[in-house]
Amino acid sequence: MTAPSNLFSVSPNPTLNGGHCRACRYVFFPPQSYGCESCGAPPEQLESKSLKGEGALSSFATINLHQDRGIETPFTVGVIVLDDGPAIRAVLTHETDEGLKIGDRMRAFVVAVGSEGGAPVNELRFAKLETLR
Amino acid sequence: MKKTLREMRPVYVVGIGLHRYQRMSETPYVTLGLTAVREALKDANIEWRSVESAYTGTAMLGMAASRPMLRYLGATGIPMAQVENASASGSTAVRQACLDVASGVADVSIAIGVDKPAPMALASAKTNIHDLVGRRVVPFTHFALLANEYMNRYGATAEQVAAVAVKNNRNSANNPYAQRQKPVTLEEVLAGPPISGSLTRLQCCPIGEGAAAAIIASDDAIETLRIDRSRAARVTASISRSERVYRGEQNFDAELTRETVAQAYEQAQISPQDLDVVALHDAFTIEELLYVEAMGLCGEGEGARMIAKGDADIGGNCAISASGGLLAMGHPIGPTGAGQVVEITRQLRGEAGVRQQPNARIGLAHMVGVGAVCVVHVLQKAA
Repeated sequence: MTAPSNLFSVSPNPTLNGGHCRACRYVFFPPQSYGCESCGAPPEQLESKSLKGEGALSSFATINLHQDRGIETPFTVGVIVLDDGPAIRAVLTHETDEGLKIGDRMRAFVVAVGSEGGAPVNELRFAKLETLR
Repeated sequence: MKKTLREMRPVYVVGIGLHRYQRMSETPYVTLGLTAVREALKDANIEWRSVESAYTGTAMLGMAASRPMLRYLGATGIPMAQVENASASGSTAVRQACLDVASGVADVSIAIGVDKPAPMALASAKTNIHDLVGRRVVPFTHFALLANEYMNRYGATAEQVAAVAVKNNRNSANNPYAQRQKPVTLEEVLAGPPISGSLTRLQCCPIGEGAAAAIIASDDAIETLRIDRSRAARVTASISRSERVYRGEQNFDAELTRETVAQAYEQAQISPQDLDVVALHDAFTIEELLYVEAMGLCGEGEGARMIAKGDADIGGNCAISASGGLLAMGHPIGPTGAGQVVEITRQLRGEAGVRQQPNARIGLAHMVGVGAVCVVHVLQKAA
């Protein structure tokens, strides 16, 4: 269920592994190498781009019921407009929406969510900047 | 040279039929579909052998759904195919039938929508592209996020968003084909734990089973088959689009609807003020507010007020979701878009009974589908 860890890098600060089109400068996340959605440039024009794990919260919702029984509730999802451009969706470290407001500064945070075959499984989540301090 | 539907020969909806939208039952899809088709044939007063092509909008049934159903009307050998376009499958079937008739390859074509609930298998899950949220974000959370953003931007309240469900359930209470046929109060809509964000159960559409059928015909067919022209609705626009790349802060769903509807207005040569009745993709309450604004039926941020004032009621400026919409009539996926065309036609004929929007002359049907796609038709009273 967890998102693959190739979506982010851990050190020195958590960053998102996004992409960038050399032809039109379009910046995107999640990463892909099929072609540029914005200008149609072929894969050779796409390169990876590290996106700073910081941005502003543009919406959030706490999920209390989920049709998939394997997914534990409640949890809160946010839309974060990254300082580096793309708007992304991420699980927030806040279980509920208490204390959250649109416009809050958010930062990426690596969370250990379990283990698989003895190896720890990490996820990239976001939290309000002040919560991290 | 390129031509729009409007520039080809005129096409009309001449027959409409439905099987009630309902919770999943033991009823085979064949029965659901044949019920809607036979009702549409009877409504148009024509025989199945007059139908020259068939498109079945379905997303959940599996491969090759048409012939195992339609053969029992008499296997006439006509071309038939399935149309899958997510929630807009039925709308896209209508578009294909319209294009067949407008281009002249058929004089009579039928668009059908039929589905039964089944586990959803989205191709996008097979692209090998992953994101940070995975299966945790499903449509109701997508729209809960849009609802929160909307309420924050315009100062709208959760009660104002929920009021859409009160209106649409009031409409469906008088619709014998609706899955939900009981009026609900605002308190009832807001009751129970929110599923996601501010969205409660009654603010999400029920997904069940059902069927819809619309027979599309040319002027020649109306003459030859002696179809009652006074009950025909002309299709004056058919527009189908898909999402482009929008700026990060834009609402992608609203933008896609805005540009698709704008093209439909241009093709039909109408403005939003001309619309008497609109069937829109209200799978979640917030969508109705987003789309009435994107359609220009009110100003940006004024959707909640439009609903509160009763302007979107039957008898208001423009009746929105007079059938009950997806929220209350239901959203069986394949049938939904074809069912909208059925409702708009009924309204333009003046045959909607207690749900009748007075003097309805121009109507619009709008569906979106995951991906995302948007399909819009404009219908006008023919006679």
